[in-house]
Amino acid sequence: MKKPPVTSINTVAKRLVGRSELVLQRKNIRESLVSVAGLIGRPVRYQGGKEIGRLVDVVVRHGEDSYPPVSGLIVKVGQSKSFIDGARIAKLTQSEIQLSSAKVDLTEFIRREGESLLDADVLDHQIVDVNGLRVVRSSDLYLAPLDREIRVVGVDISFKAFIRRIFPGALGRGPIPEHVIDWANVASLAHGTGVVRSTESRAALGQLRPADLADLIEDLAGRERSALIEMLDPDLAADALEEMEDDELQGLLRGLSAERSAELISRMEPDEGAEVLRDLDDDHRESILLEMDTSVAKQLRKLVEFDETLAGGIMTSHMLITRESDTVASALKLLVENRERDISDGVVVVDSKGKLMDHIQIIELIAAKPNVTLSTLMGPPYPTAVHINTRLDEVIDEFANNRGSSIIVVDEKNKPVGRILADDLVDALASISETSGFAQGSGAL
Amino acid sequence: MATKKVISPKKIRIAALLAVMGPGMIAGLSDDDPAGITTYSVLGADYGYQLLWVLAASTIALIVLHDLGARIGVVTRQGMIGLIRQKYGARAGVLSAGALIIANIGTMTAEFAGIAAAGQLFGLSKFLSVPIAAFAVSFLVLRNSFAKVEKVFFLISAGFVAYVIAGFMAGPDWGAAAKGVLIPTIPFTQEAIFIATATIGTTLAPWGLAFIQSYAVDKRLTKDDLKLLRVDVWTGSLLTGIIGFFVVVTCAATLHKEGIHINDAADAAKALEPLAGTMAKELFAIGLIGAALLAASILPLSTAYSVSDLTGRPSALDDSPKEAPLFYATFGIITGLSALLILLPGAPLITILVVTQVINAVLLLPLLIYMFGISRDKKLMGEFVATRTMKTIYAIIIAVVGVAIACMLWFILIG
Repeated sequence: MKKPPVTSINTVAKRLVGRSELVLQRKNIRESLVSVAGLIGRPVRYQGGKEIGRLVDVVVRHGEDSYPPVSGLIVKVGQSKSFIDGARIAKLTQSEIQLSSAKVDLTEFIRREGESLLDADVLDHQIVDVNGLRVVRSSDLYLAPLDREIRVVGVDISFKAFIRRIFPGALGRGPIPEHVIDWANVASLAHGTGVVRSTESRAALGQLRPADLADLIEDLAGRERSALIEMLDPDLAADALEEMEDDELQGLLRGLSAERSAELISRMEPDEGAEVLRDLDDDHRESILLEMDTSVAKQLRKLVEFDETLAGGIMTSHMLITRESDTVASALKLLVENRERDISDGVVVVDSKGKLMDHIQIIELIAAKPNVTLSTLMGPPYPTAVHINTRLDEVIDEFANNRGSSIIVVDEKNKPVGRILADDLVDALASISETSGFAQGSGAL
Repeated sequence: MATKKVISPKKIRIAALLAVMGPGMIAGLSDDDPAGITTYSVLGADYGYQLLWVLAASTIALIVLHDLGARIGVVTRQGMIGLIRQKYGARAGVLSAGALIIANIGTMTAEFAGIAAAGQLFGLSKFLSVPIAAFAVSFLVLRNSFAKVEKVFFLISAGFVAYVIAGFMAGPDWGAAAKGVLIPTIPFTQEAIFIATATIGTTLAPWGLAFIQSYAVDKRLTKDDLKLLRVDVWTGSLLTGIIGFFVVVTCAATLHKEGIHINDAADAAKALEPLAGTMAKELFAIGLIGAALLAASILPLSTAYSVSDLTGRPSALDDSPKEAPLFYATFGIITGLSALLILLPGAPLITILVVTQVINAVLLLPLLIYMFGISRDKKLMGEFVATRTMKTIYAIIIAVVGVAIACMLWFILIG
């Protein structure tokens, strides 16, 4: 059996996270680790040694800290479960917990915003190893005193730690420090109201390629999956969603709030976003569109209505429109301002009535003098334009005949409404061959 | 100019169904393994049509439990063992997985025994048939993509048609068969109760329950697919019952009529020859090979899913051996070990089979209770949490299975 590549993960982690120090590298922390799995079921005592009850769970609070502090304990007293504030803990060892007073208030546990239970929500649950790029299960969690509080400092995903736990007594409790991964390197996606966040793991997730992130999202279960999406940078999440399979994406959106869905879809390329919305049922689509910026929603609504087998259904509405009286300098400025959307290889030029005149490549703009008007650059070859209701096969023919990387889509009045890039065409063809592939499959079976 | 192919909505629906099909069909049919065929043959040979209702009842239980397993898989995207670890703790997870591994090695040995027996009916030595089968299933799973593996599974399942043909050839008394399905009567003898409980036990296999859940996860089905998946599960489970029905009917119409007692499915094939013509023997043997091959592919796969799931390691047929070493290693070890056990001269086969039966029976009950617990867990199942009606149905089935298991253990260990 291959051992999990824990060492290599840590090495990569150091490189990725680098900036901040990992506390597990401190000797005093490594030597004072307490296993959470081993701690559950151990006695909790008053000052003086009288037993209150047995530990059921450890409550932690997530905030901006990389290492979440223990905010309380859930203790089984007689037949009921009570909550004890974390501030009361005087001494926490592997075999027992001692409180700082001889009497405490036992209250009922009510989960507060940003809290999670280590045993019920995190232990044995799926977590994302952001550096190993995979979903794993946590075998154990480790606590240690740090900055005057007891905090979660590490997680163990090794099989060894997991097997250790099935042994009874002290044998099942001892930490194996060499397998512990620093908490700052994992993204744990706890159930319930508390979502475990750590700034470092967030940063590390940001370095993943959208396609890898999409795989990771597809590997996760419902709530954990939504939690990961919530924790990602919206632009990155939107990129990852574009990479996901259609039906996976549909399932995912059902697990997210309309607000978050709206945020993500409006950050996707308009044609991709429209495609996602088109597949949703009417109520769901409407609830998402209502949460959007009205201008974005209006644009998407228009796109959604187009048939996917027509030019209007596969085009992207994003393009840069300029007047023929504009200067080269202002066109370039527009391109620079929109560089994040990186699909603009030039500007579309219209006349005073908004009718299509030309498409000017970025290279022509750079070569021209900045103060001349765009009309001076206009001339053959003119761009290929198709009507929004042009059928897909005709669009393909146009592409083949003109060998361009994009064509412009216009409405009845010859006003430009969008562009079809070569990759939009590839996407459209891929989704068609997928559908007919199923049909062929049905013949074979 | 190329014209676009028009796909009718009906065609799309069928295509969508076929794309979802798999977990229910494969997990169901693999329960009709050589051990199952043997049980059905004995049931038919010894009691004629009388106990067909037991088969009908187990089919209903199979539908309900596979439906639940598949739904849990799709909703939680986790295998059964992983969920047990998450919800019931490390010890429950390790114990379940451990029992499952041991039982699966035993069951896998039984599948190879079926292949050896069927091979011998065609005059093929077991030293040839078993290694070939072991390599064939390993090659299939190790070297192919999920989609391809699934197609081969469907192809192997076609072998079951042989039983249906044999059933018609035997010329059964359909009226008596219908009566046997609908009217539950049982002679109160130890043998009759044993074969009835064995029928339930062989239909509801722990590895099948673990498999359907993991397989639905691996197939990456989504909540959207649940309706179609239900069609798949019902079809698969019903077919499983129907094939069992034809095996029982064939044996009832021939062996039972003549008062011939048999010990296993290969016995049944041999005994059929003079009664239903030569083809009946060949058909029974072909069916047996298909049944054994399908189960022999599913068992190590089910084990590999469970072990990977327990440890939280990657486990997908589309992963490469390098990406999922534990998954493929488990598959190889289970297959190799079982092949070795069957080929080893002097291996205590009878003991292995009895112990396997006991572990499978003992394991089934806690697994069902865990599944019941998971189905009621709002946190895990969300909107698909079991309704009150479903909970009642699950509870009744678990109670009946519990009684059957207790009877069976009583017979094996004490009776």
